[in-house]
Amino acid sequence: MNLQLFALAIFDGISYAALVFLVAVGLTLIFGVLRVLNVAHGSFYAMGAYATASVGGAIFAAGWAPWLAFPLMLVAAAAIGVMVGGPVEKLLLSRIYQMEDVLQILVTFAVFMILEDVQRLIWGVRPLFEATALNQLGTVSVFGITYTVYQLIFLPLVAIVVLIALRLGLRRTLTGRLITAVTEDREAAVTIGIDVERVYLITFIVGATLAAFGGALASATTSVVPGMGADMIVLSFAVVATAGMGQIEGAAITALLIGLGRSFAVYLWPELQVLVPYLIMFAVLLVRPQGLFGAAEARKI
Amino acid sequence: MLVLEKVTVRLGGIPILREVNIEIAKASTVALIGANGAGKTTTLRTIMGLTKMTGRIGFDGGDLTVVAPSRRPILGIGYAAEDRRLFSGFTVEENIKMPGQVARFSSDELQRRLARVYGILPELREMAGRPAGAVSGGQGKMVALGRALMIGSKLIMLDEPFQGLAPALARRYADALRKLRETDRNITLIITESNPELLKNFAERTLVIDRGVLRATRQAALA
Repeated sequence: MNLQLFALAIFDGISYAALVFLVAVGLTLIFGVLRVLNVAHGSFYAMGAYATASVGGAIFAAGWAPWLAFPLMLVAAAAIGVMVGGPVEKLLLSRIYQMEDVLQILVTFAVFMILEDVQRLIWGVRPLFEATALNQLGTVSVFGITYTVYQLIFLPLVAIVVLIALRLGLRRTLTGRLITAVTEDREAAVTIGIDVERVYLITFIVGATLAAFGGALASATTSVVPGMGADMIVLSFAVVATAGMGQIEGAAITALLIGLGRSFAVYLWPELQVLVPYLIMFAVLLVRPQGLFGAAEARKI
Repeated sequence: MLVLEKVTVRLGGIPILREVNIEIAKASTVALIGANGAGKTTTLRTIMGLTKMTGRIGFDGGDLTVVAPSRRPILGIGYAAEDRRLFSGFTVEENIKMPGQVARFSSDELQRRLARVYGILPELREMAGRPAGAVSGGQGKMVALGRALMIGSKLIMLDEPFQGLAPALARRYADALRKLRETDRNITLIITESNPELLKNFAERTLVIDRGVLRATRQAALA
């Protein structure tokens, strides 16, 4: 492997890790607070991508300014988070918090299947491609490799901003403090007046919005196709399990680890590309069943 | 001010409270005495809305049973669980202030109440900046009392506050309760305890609960 390929593998890994992180951190936030493993999380990712690509395709064809691609991603992600994520939590999940984990997983899996079909109903099965945002930022040459600024700089920057905003939001805002309190002790939170149901709803919407935002960002770099949600949910499960459930910074580091592992496999041993993230998860969980950053006892986010 | 009428609570089919009737007058101090498992904690938890119950609970002229559990503290009810239940990721002061922030008190009101808490429990001011997860069990009981005082302007319920307290701390805790009594004559206090001797001189009234049934009540002169 020469220097150029090495650098290319690192760039690929970093930009991919940024997307995986956004989805995984939403998943781990929801799990940390609600204690529900949300299989439908992959659907929010896919729907964020579809909404961005389809609306973007329409408005740019109508001659709207290309820079609008960026605010569009935020708007599409928030819309999916609120309009799809909100009802899923309020109408379905809120009824099953007291039930067994297996049932919760089955319910979110059913939601995932339903939302997959909803995507086909709305957007069909034809791939969508909308790269206005990618083209807006141009390219940069590093070590003689030409790479898009969007993937090399913008995506990792967004991931870092989200990580910091999430940590500060949980620590400094009242809503964030309430989320932290509910995570540690739901009953104690009720006895000081915290509306736990509302905190759950807000957390779920934030988590769903993060997944949809990941999809919105991904839509500029890849074709939006049926099944992309399934690929992403499996991978982000691997990240969350490897990092330890409910670990926000851990999800970032693990996403990087798994993103790089996967991209090096692409260049060195392409047959193992799909397998590498799970080999990493397998190896970590064998040694540390609670995950790389997971504590065995305390509930925290 | 607080009325329990035929309150029954079952956990997994087993009755924990059986048709309990209690009437507690405003501004009184009541000791709820009983052995472990008698139903003291369940009584307090039921008033907070943490159990499934039948019967009725009236508070301050209204029906508490129809109020969502998270809307009860803002009515002026403070509760300190036996095992403290502090939020370990926050400082002592953040823990104390949190019920007031949740209730969206103005910053003036929040400061006024915080000053009241520190007036009654001055030692909390010294550990204000420490993480709540790093204070000792006994100090944690003080913090839990402070947190209950923040929101509990009408009723304070303390579940086995003296359990596990070193003698010196227990005296401090009792002093703080006396000070609370002196500074706020209108507040109603309910304190549970398994040792009937401990609250004898402090409570005006003692309720004895045994296997989910209210057995006896005694009036005692306030020491």
